[in-house]
Amino acid sequence: MGPGSCFRLARAKMADDEGAGVPREQVQGGTQVQFSQVLGGQALRCVSGAPWSVTRTPLNSVRVQRRSKSKSYRLSLRSCLGAASRLGLTPALTARRLNTSRRAPKSHNITEKVNPEQLNLLVKTEWQLSYVTPLYQFRHTQLKSYSRQLSAFIAAEKQQGLAVEVEGTHGSFRVSFCVVQGMAEADDDAETVLIQIHSKPLFAGKDEPPKAVWSGWLTCINGSPDYLRSLPKDFTCMPLFCSSGADGLTSLVKSWFQRTFDCCFGQLEISHTSLQWLVALWTNCHTESAIQHLKMMWTLPAVPPLKVTYTVNGPDAWQLWSSVRKQQHSESNEEEEEENSIDIEEVMQFMQGLKSHFYRHFRLDLSAGSLDQVSTALGSAKCSGRIKISKSKYMITTLTLLTECALLKMPI
Amino acid sequence: MAAKLNLSGQPDSETSSLNDQTVSSRSSNRSVRVAEKERRKIEAEDPFVLALKYFTDVEAGTPVTGNDEVEKHLVLVEKAAYSRGLSPEAISNMLEFAMSLRMGTTLCARVLKCLIPATAVPQEAVVRAVVWLGVGKIPITTQVLFIKWVLTVFDMIDAKDQLRAIYGFIFSFVTDENLCPYICHLLYLLTRKESVRVFRVRKLLELQSKLGRQPFLLHLLSLYKVFCPELVTLSIPSRMRSGFRNHNSPWKSVLIGVQKRNGSQVASSIAPSAFMVKDKTNSRKRKYCHLEMPALNCVINKQAETGTSSSRKLVPVVQLNSFAQLLENMHHIELPAQMGSLLGSSLALQYLDCVQDESALLRLNFWLGYALHEEFLFCSDGGASQNSEEALQFLNKLLSTQHFLQEGFSSSEAFLYKFLNVWDGSLFRPEILGLLSNIPVIPSSQIGRLLFEPLMQLFFTSSLFFKCGLMECLNNMLLKWLTWHSVYALEDDLDISLNSHTSINMTLSGFKDSVMELVLFVGRLASVGLQLEGCHSLLLSFILDFYETVCDTFLKYGLPLVLMPPPGVFYPALFATDPVNVDRLAYIMYRYKVNLTSAKSQERVTEQAFHISRQTFREFNNYGVVMANCLWNSKMFHPGMGVQLGEELLLKSNVPQYSASFDLIHHPAFMSYAVDFHQRCWPGRKDMDLNSIKLSKPWSWYLEYLFTQGYDGLKQFFQGNISRQQTAGDGQGDSVSSRQR
Repeated sequence: MGPGSCFRLARAKMADDEGAGVPREQVQGGTQVQFSQVLGGQALRCVSGAPWSVTRTPLNSVRVQRRSKSKSYRLSLRSCLGAASRLGLTPALTARRLNTSRRAPKSHNITEKVNPEQLNLLVKTEWQLSYVTPLYQFRHTQLKSYSRQLSAFIAAEKQQGLAVEVEGTHGSFRVSFCVVQGMAEADDDAETVLIQIHSKPLFAGKDEPPKAVWSGWLTCINGSPDYLRSLPKDFTCMPLFCSSGADGLTSLVKSWFQRTFDCCFGQLEISHTSLQWLVALWTNCHTESAIQHLKMMWTLPAVPPLKVTYTVNGPDAWQLWSSVRKQQHSESNEEEEEENSIDIEEVMQFMQGLKSHFYRHFRLDLSAGSLDQVSTALGSAKCSGRIKISKSKYMITTLTLLTECALLKMPI
Repeated sequence: MAAKLNLSGQPDSETSSLNDQTVSSRSSNRSVRVAEKERRKIEAEDPFVLALKYFTDVEAGTPVTGNDEVEKHLVLVEKAAYSRGLSPEAISNMLEFAMSLRMGTTLCARVLKCLIPATAVPQEAVVRAVVWLGVGKIPITTQVLFIKWVLTVFDMIDAKDQLRAIYGFIFSFVTDENLCPYICHLLYLLTRKESVRVFRVRKLLELQSKLGRQPFLLHLLSLYKVFCPELVTLSIPSRMRSGFRNHNSPWKSVLIGVQKRNGSQVASSIAPSAFMVKDKTNSRKRKYCHLEMPALNCVINKQAETGTSSSRKLVPVVQLNSFAQLLENMHHIELPAQMGSLLGSSLALQYLDCVQDESALLRLNFWLGYALHEEFLFCSDGGASQNSEEALQFLNKLLSTQHFLQEGFSSSEAFLYKFLNVWDGSLFRPEILGLLSNIPVIPSSQIGRLLFEPLMQLFFTSSLFFKCGLMECLNNMLLKWLTWHSVYALEDDLDISLNSHTSINMTLSGFKDSVMELVLFVGRLASVGLQLEGCHSLLLSFILDFYETVCDTFLKYGLPLVLMPPPGVFYPALFATDPVNVDRLAYIMYRYKVNLTSAKSQERVTEQAFHISRQTFREFNNYGVVMANCLWNSKMFHPGMGVQLGEELLLKSNVPQYSASFDLIHHPAFMSYAVDFHQRCWPGRKDMDLNSIKLSKPWSWYLEYLFTQGYDGLKQFFQGNISRQQTAGDGQGDSVSSRQR
């Protein structure tokens, strides 16, 4: 299993508690990092494997056109191979992995494309992530009707369990669906849909304005074109669902979507590897938009588990990062920025550098533990699947990564 | 009324409704009446009726201890209640008996626990019982139990007006600290606008100041506030969990069971919403509920299609009740909102069987794949072990669906490839192996990585039973592949399509490669497996099952491919200690021969170039010669055979007549037959000389004797291969199948 594979096996517990003696200390950054260590660091284990590789079934050269058989029910015998040809990728035959290289984040002038009011709703909130299987017969043109239906659904569900018809509760939730125009990056991406639920508290005064009690959005940013194109027209793929608000409402919204669009919701964790990607991607933005500090939370498998908070000053992190970047300085033409891509190896080297530095000071090898949380001035992410994006400029890069993670969770 | 005491559960509720229907025709009415009389007569002696009568009539103060009669009757009532539920009259009588404490307090609680209504609960009974509460002799725990019972069956109480009329009386119990939460719930269910009064609000507020902000008080107060905001000035948190805790635990499962048994007409007419709520809270509490089958619902969002299909009326699957209806509406059936719900009903499966809609199947596959992934792959903290019962049911449902459709779902296939890598080989073994045997043909280039690598690891690290299970699974897999081939292969034999709807075609040679890979893989597994397990005869038997499929690929399934078992399988089978396996090997060799001969002749006739390699013939001939020499000719270690040992070594072993040690007389599997035969042949002989069977006459008798014991495989092998039907001795083994060269 590569680190990018969608399921994690139970991490082998480390028997010796090597770090138990080390005080739970917060390491402040600002110390000079020894670069020699970084470059001469130990061999890295990297993920290999082509991203989204499409392995076609090796057919023999003789490919005779079949007689058209009377349509039999064989349809459901869609073998994986069948799916391969139909869905454009072989979900099971090629173990899907995270991309091993991605474009360096460049600041998007997203504020020009997207309505800033809507953008404000998306940033600075911590979202709980879920993945969603493709929606069946979802129409971006029918959002008004969906708003009505979901309001009615929530009202009906809230009434359940009340034996007496309670007037007043009805209609206390107002749902609004809207499209966030301009978020989509690639042509295949479906436009982002934002859902908000406003409520007037039951015992509030008459003229109090309804408050937004819940919001969530479905999105797809730079989704794998192979996957998206392979889906029949009836399906809309917005694999990433972010929600914030009462759990009860979240589950109501989810169950309405499930019933209406025959889709399924599952929890989306941000894996160790994805968090490391975020560390690198955010650090890479430092020159354009200061990250202030790079804060990482690690958990080491000691008894009891040892939590380590590791904070590095922005400039120091950047310095380390630029030292592991391969071609960045050799061809630092402004034009070539477009092609600028970051490789997983660089990410791993960067992480290794950070870990070695920590080891020099505290004699504690962070590679034994797992990265649980990352935060910079650009945003924060937790392995439990909570993410906050603080600067809209770089949100596209982050969302691209998350879309990819969500697509990896797709059952087929 | 009194005579109809027995209503519970007897099918008379149905007959009475029947009566209503037939009331128009007089003659039938009369006959029904006669029947009714008969029935009553019979019922008068029904022990259950007698039991109820006993409880109605029993005098107060009758002793309980040592009273066998009451015990006997009560057991009867309980039995009836738990199986079919009690009729309204029975409920009424039993409740009256319990609450009046005619026979003390112990029986009261026991009776309350078995008050399972079959249909409805008469309101009067409840009102009377509440009045008994006021008498105040009932212990507090029993009082609580009673109110809980009322809350449980609240939706089944036939009317509520009288209960509302004694609202004030019920309200007075609110001051009792133990009863308060339950009374609040009951009041909540009964409250109307007119029941909200200042003094009641004041009482509740007073209680609240005494007990603290208890949710049950808050709930009742919030309801009061909804009705009369001017009376309740208290601010109530807006984000309060709605609903009371449900208190129906003692009766819930039984009640649902009874309702299920009594048929849906009762369940649906009364539809105790209390339970639906309860179920919901249950599932909310559970973290993992991916395996819940979605309900069969109509599409809510119809606007999208109305434009196109307005001309035809679509019939939702939900509305179909019979296969005939399904056929009638075949061409205008509307799929359910959630395709996953189709797995739940057999009628829907029949429809799924002929669904042409690609999207529909994709939806089903998305749901199925999601459920499988979430349950078995993504759950990090052993969710599978927590609800193994549910998972088991789910897998079994999936399996039966796949058996019904005779094919696997692509999502379960994709899931299996991932799951095999993390499987311990014991979790849901039969189910997982069942699913595995349904996967369609995998191209030979992928089969190793997807299937063989994980299976090999599992095979060599698991128990004998897993090995047998896996062999059976692989045999089933091969059978299915071959069946698909024989059904779907085209006549021109150039191309088979595994799947009529996708563009994927597999050439015949591609398919042959995959089958070959599979057979060779099983050969490797089997050889090593037999060594590891000391040639266990159970494992050997499963392996021979597999080769029984393999040897007939050409004749039975039309696949021009003949593959011989490896020596690691052949020799253990030949030297097996149980005669059945040896016999099966002989049968397999016989079928190989038939297949090869037929392939050869067909090759000659059609001159079509499918080539069975010379190597295969050579292997077959070699095995044939070994078998004949070993079993018939007593030329065990003959030079030039598969098993060779040095002369000196054999002499050193001190085995007399070593070359005959595996013939049909001395073979460990057949020795007992030889002894038996010897005794029958020469009953008088004292010293046993098995070699005397070798003489020509007894030898042919001995063979006949063996064949009559049911060893048809040996018989067929013998008749097919030993050309000169002749006596013991020499040389005829050489003629074995040599003409195939």
